[in-house]
Amino acid sequence: MADMRAKQPKGVKLDHISKIYKDPKTGKDFYAVHDVDLTIEPGTFVTLLGPSGCGKTTTLRMIAGFESPDEGEIYLGGEPINALTPNKRDTAMVFQSYALFPHYNVFDNVAYGLRLRKVSKDEIQKRVTEILKLVELSGMEQRMTNQLSGGQQQRVALARALVVEPGVLLFDEPLSNLDAKLRVQMRTEIRRIQQQLGITAVYVTHDQSEAMAISDNIILMKKGVIAQMGSPTEIYYHPNSEFVADFIGECNFLKGTVSAVRSGEADVRVNGVDLTVVTDKAVKVGDEGEIVLRPEAIVLDDKGMLPCKVELSCFMGSYQNYHVRVGDTLVKITDNCPINKKVFDVGESVCISFDKRCAHLL
Amino acid sequence: MQRTERSRGGLDLSLLYKVFGAILFVYLFLGFMVLPCLNTLTSIFTARDAAGNVDPFAVIRFFFAGNMPSFVINSLKLAVCLVITVNVVGISIVLLTEYFDIKGSKILRLGYMTTLIYSGVALVTGYQFLYDSNGMLTQWLAGMFPGMNRQWFSGFSAVLFTMTFACTSNHALFLRNAIRGIDYNTVEAARNMGAKPFKVLFRVVMPTLLPTLFSLTVMTFITGLCAMSAPTLLGYNSINPEIVRLAGSSVADEAFPQARAALLSIILALFTIALLTMLNHYERKGHYLSVSKTKAKLVKQRIQSPVARVLAHIYAYVLFVIYMTPVVMIVLFAFQNWPAVRAKSLNVSDWTLINFFGTQDYSYTTSRGKQRIRKGVISGVFSNADTVGGIRLSFVLSALAAALACVIVVVAVNYIFKHKDKKRAAVVEACLLFPWLLPTILICYSFRTFFNGEVWYVLGKNLYYRENVRFLIVMAYTVVKLPFALRMVKAAFYAIDGELEDAARNLGASSLVTFLRVKLPIVLPSVLAVFALNFNALFTEYDMSATFHSSYGKSYAMVIQSMTAEEGRDGYNMNGSGRRCASTVFIMLVSGLILYLVYGVGARDLGERLERRKKRREFFARITGRRPAGN
Repeated sequence: MADMRAKQPKGVKLDHISKIYKDPKTGKDFYAVHDVDLTIEPGTFVTLLGPSGCGKTTTLRMIAGFESPDEGEIYLGGEPINALTPNKRDTAMVFQSYALFPHYNVFDNVAYGLRLRKVSKDEIQKRVTEILKLVELSGMEQRMTNQLSGGQQQRVALARALVVEPGVLLFDEPLSNLDAKLRVQMRTEIRRIQQQLGITAVYVTHDQSEAMAISDNIILMKKGVIAQMGSPTEIYYHPNSEFVADFIGECNFLKGTVSAVRSGEADVRVNGVDLTVVTDKAVKVGDEGEIVLRPEAIVLDDKGMLPCKVELSCFMGSYQNYHVRVGDTLVKITDNCPINKKVFDVGESVCISFDKRCAHLL
Repeated sequence: MQRTERSRGGLDLSLLYKVFGAILFVYLFLGFMVLPCLNTLTSIFTARDAAGNVDPFAVIRFFFAGNMPSFVINSLKLAVCLVITVNVVGISIVLLTEYFDIKGSKILRLGYMTTLIYSGVALVTGYQFLYDSNGMLTQWLAGMFPGMNRQWFSGFSAVLFTMTFACTSNHALFLRNAIRGIDYNTVEAARNMGAKPFKVLFRVVMPTLLPTLFSLTVMTFITGLCAMSAPTLLGYNSINPEIVRLAGSSVADEAFPQARAALLSIILALFTIALLTMLNHYERKGHYLSVSKTKAKLVKQRIQSPVARVLAHIYAYVLFVIYMTPVVMIVLFAFQNWPAVRAKSLNVSDWTLINFFGTQDYSYTTSRGKQRIRKGVISGVFSNADTVGGIRLSFVLSALAAALACVIVVVAVNYIFKHKDKKRAAVVEACLLFPWLLPTILICYSFRTFFNGEVWYVLGKNLYYRENVRFLIVMAYTVVKLPFALRMVKAAFYAIDGELEDAARNLGASSLVTFLRVKLPIVLPSVLAVFALNFNALFTEYDMSATFHSSYGKSYAMVIQSMTAEEGRDGYNMNGSGRRCASTVFIMLVSGLILYLVYGVGARDLGERLERRKKRREFFARITGRRPAGN
């Protein structure tokens, strides 16, 4: 399988691209994608993440050529591709519905792109066999697509896209039709194959856990614009807005006033208590701010920084789920492995504390 | 922005295709839809009086002064009565086979569905075989009541009776589907809340069927209004037969016959447009769709009252007898020799295949006592030159028209889907639906009159002249079948996953390759089904054939009609009735085969087909002792 590396992974550059649609109800134009400017390095796995209608699929379809940008230019491997029709672009896409041709068997589906490229029969046979082995579908060449399970269909779709050795591999929510367990299994497979082949991949999903698990970089979109770009760790621990913080996992927001500023740190007064957090923002004393805290970053104890009262205590198996009241704010806490710790009951007065590196000031 | 890659090469072939396609479409739409119909409309107002002056209102004055309103009133009378009788019988047959627990419902359903393979001129002549002055039933009744009027089966009542049983096919298909779509839990819920069985039927089941019933009612009304074969063969003065009569008449015989025919066809068109607009408006309100996520299958209801149960069974089997008797008699007599057919007496010893194959001579004694022989005047369907000619002509014309309609519609629907949010797609669709608004007779009459002269855009030819009429028939058949083909093929295109096209394009296929290798193979079963259904309808089609009737355009339906008229006269065509029966059997076989292929084989999903293929291979492998091939 050593020879099955992508021949030349290509980078993608979206140069201030926008897409305008007409609202069918009002008849007015609106931006589905607005001034998106980003660069995807060759060989990386980048995920476009966001809620429904944020423009992530439109962006992906513009890269594939199914939509054309109204403003800006798209570059693939340094070449502008706006003028190229989809069949002339060096991309291959895995669709949400898999889009397997129902009148072809597995082999013919995978071989479709190669036949269009006038590859010789022997070469087609060789490459299809290799790619089916890679996606663990050997021996199923003659099966019709409706004789396959959802996961197998997904693998055929992936094989069909990979076999043409595209410069960029595009995924449009490819796992959304699978059950939860298979989804986890398949995303691991996709990542394995992408890394094995060293191919550039652009992946669209609205599932933040999928994005975290699979990506080198995440591009979080909201209402057609990029809300934040960065590695999963960066986005998770250093969200640049309430939207990003809330979209990526569960989050608590503690409102307060900056009481002291030091180099890379700030004290924020919440409910009369000064809490120290790490920040790279230019803040000054007296500024209003919000401390972003992940539920698993908070420690509940008899002694701690901030006094609170337990309102919900619920055993969830691998963790204990708490809701505690801090002033007017309800704070969610996930306490992992509760069997080794003290469990607090509803109504108990306790305190919360956290590592300042796990908190982030907005 | 850069120019698209395709335009870089200089000559843009796709643009050429588009321009050529647009010109061809406009030519066909204007030339074979708009202009002929417009000519019909204007001919009403350009009639000339005795002095040769144009009198725009002469025809309208004539309409009110003469007996023309009676044709309109007769058609309306037939349509109104037909709506009542067809709904009564149609609802009955569906409830008896799908809703109530009636013994032998599967056999009953088969009987009620015979009109699917046995309709039009074949059905009418079948009823004539049983009920006309020389019919079986009439002979039997005349034996019991010698003074009875042997012409009892003619006029309005005969047309109404025949059409009532001929027009329940739509109920058998669509109402049946609607009743099968009912969630049985709603019936159980009503029963659970204390409703009696008939209350459930009228308050829960029937209201959900109302939208389907409304559509069927409108379609039945239009069928009654535009009735052709039954009124023609059974003698009833309605609009369509009068239009055909006037179209063949000349000013030497009566006042402006063509303009009167045009006026009648326009009146028919106005009624049709009004009814279809009403139907469209009603359909837009939407149907009642079950919101159930776990729909329960309808369980047949046992009629609790023993008296009602017996009456329901009697009613069901009486209807069955009415449906089946003509079919069974036609099939049986198709295998009887001419004396048996003429005497309407079945005899096993008179069993023969002469009505299908071969010829026989006929010997008879003249009034002067001489013995004469007429060579080959007893002939079978496939040995009689006239009949074979009719079959061949109808086969070729129907196949050509059905294929042409499919090609036009597939190309157009592909265009419509590619530009679905654009106005030009809506315009193309509207153009193809245009013939739906017009009665068939108006289109055919317009073709016949407009092209019965030299027309510049068809190379200055008269298309109603000699063999040219065949081209005219193909064009008329095609135009009339476009709306049906469009609706069916569009539904098939809707079923294509939009991402398939994207996938093919993404893998490097051009638009044309995507259409030919991805979309077309997927919609092909539906397109073939549309082809088969259109072919089936056209093969024995009567209304249009009657309008274009000429010695060069004598279709199969016209040949069958002629068999009722020329039977046994002076020793010619001795077995006309027997051959008519054999023709009907042939038509039933063809229709049955087509419907089986479309709804039987065609309705199977891919998995079922593969399963059957596997079983077939295993079966042959067992026979031949070889290993099954493939997977």
